[in-house]
Amino acid sequence: MSQTNGLRAARIFRQTLKYVILSLIGILSFFPIIWMFYSSFKSNQDIMMDTLSMPTILHFENYIGAWNEAKIGVYFFNSLIVSVGSVILVILLGTSASFILAKFKFRSSRAVYNYFIIGMLIPMQTTLVPLFIVMKNMNMLNSYWSLILAYTATGLPLAIFVLESFIRAFPDSIVEAAVIDGSSMFRVFLKMILPMSIPAIATVGILTFLNNWKEFSFALVLISDESKKTLPLGLYNFLGEFTSNYAQLFAALMIASIPIIIIYLFLQKQIVNGMTAGAVKG
Amino acid sequence: MELIRRNKKYIVLGLLPALLIYTVFIIYPILNSFYYGFFDWNGLGTPIFTGFKNIQNVLQAPVFWNAFKNNIMVVLASIFGQIPIGLLLAIALSKKMHGAAFFRTIFFMPMILSTVVIGLLWTTVLNSQVGILNRLLNMMGLQFLTKDWLGDPNIAMFTVCAIIVWQCVGQYMIIFIAALQNVSQEVLEAADIDGANERQKLFRIILPSIWGSIIASVVMCIAGSMRSFDLVYVLTNGGPAHATEVMATYMYNQTFTGYKYGYGSAISLVIFILSFSFILISRALMRRNEQDN
Repeated sequence: MSQTNGLRAARIFRQTLKYVILSLIGILSFFPIIWMFYSSFKSNQDIMMDTLSMPTILHFENYIGAWNEAKIGVYFFNSLIVSVGSVILVILLGTSASFILAKFKFRSSRAVYNYFIIGMLIPMQTTLVPLFIVMKNMNMLNSYWSLILAYTATGLPLAIFVLESFIRAFPDSIVEAAVIDGSSMFRVFLKMILPMSIPAIATVGILTFLNNWKEFSFALVLISDESKKTLPLGLYNFLGEFTSNYAQLFAALMIASIPIIIIYLFLQKQIVNGMTAGAVKG
Repeated sequence: MELIRRNKKYIVLGLLPALLIYTVFIIYPILNSFYYGFFDWNGLGTPIFTGFKNIQNVLQAPVFWNAFKNNIMVVLASIFGQIPIGLLLAIALSKKMHGAAFFRTIFFMPMILSTVVIGLLWTTVLNSQVGILNRLLNMMGLQFLTKDWLGDPNIAMFTVCAIIVWQCVGQYMIIFIAALQNVSQEVLEAADIDGANERQKLFRIILPSIWGSIIASVVMCIAGSMRSFDLVYVLTNGGPAHATEVMATYMYNQTFTGYKYGYGSAISLVIFILSFSFILISRALMRRNEQDN
């Protein structure tokens, strides 16, 4: 009897220890983000006076200031255009290429597939300098298109990796039946392949959007015009211009993060699985 | 039917747009940089062919090798920080427990934030004016531990590594949680009946059955670390005094602040070859390991 009590006590002790350790790591992992959140509602003086304290009055003007004065609103809009633009291109081009690679027969099919997939292994930083030169020669620096095309090109390998295997699983007969029916191939693509691929397209779309929204190095190299900067690039400049306006800095960081945190909380499973699958392959 | 699935027109129409964009904006630039790596060029005038001089200069620059050493430090910090911590978290969270989903959400959160947000957040956390780290150390009576975390050349690189581990640990936790689901419950139960303790179960059953995922994670750590740029650029831009310089920041600074496009291209080329061979070697090792098992 006393032995089972001892065992139970040991188990409870172990469980408690586990929670304590997990909570400690959890705090270490999450507290900086929490701190950023609540500090974004404090005034700058409050932050300077006591950096750990909770806000006493909610200073929403930090957000308004960041949005207008620090031009986070402009950057936000630019990020949206660039991210959404390239998501649309990645989905359209990626699905049509995957459809051809999965369902059509031609000699170099495997080679073309591998040619795309190798893009997942290329360290993208090594393309920064040459991509700058290419965009400069094409007179595309400081345009939305420079980023949309760069993000589309970098997004395609993962898209084709996910979509090709998804479409490959469709029975050939469906496509054939549709063609016999008299639908043109273009209609088969629009009316059948695209709708049937929606689960895979959703994964690709979410991941591509997140990657583009977060992306910094291409923007750093390709954009210098203030009115075309995306959020990460605009935030980076915040460091120089508003060095001591911490309240506004926190608000700006929150504005950049809120959209992806919301997407993450709603679509956690898809994001986590997709990011991990892509990363393991790459 | 066969005829349609071999129809050249459809094949070209469907593939060409993706091929074109991918080739023009990824493959061509890389090949192009291999080309410019052999020229002396400031980005404006006519490039002057100099053969292997740029590459020679890169390989002889102490700053480059220092940067390479820092990349290796990131690799080591990732392998010996992210993988063990990620694995421990995964083991703790894969058992039935209250709040497992909550902890998973929290631990993965830093992975989805923009690296720039993380960089700015941590420069503020470590800042001497309003930073919370030194503040907390002071509160706990550990004044002697307070440091200029990013400003002291002796410790700046360790700080950068710690932040990288902080950011990426959740990713490895997820990989290992997925791997642990495939560990046979029957074998574990049989081990319980035979009176195996937790440590024996970990080393004799769990680790061997998820070995493939561990090796894959090592490859990921290597690949990810060779390409680190954003976080270092935002945190320190390679400073103080090149203490945290990594290969990619060296490349960026030489090219865009020194206007040495030829030299910068040569650095790109060297990074490309180095990181690609690291990845290929580790993948080959991984494949051999799979065959062994």
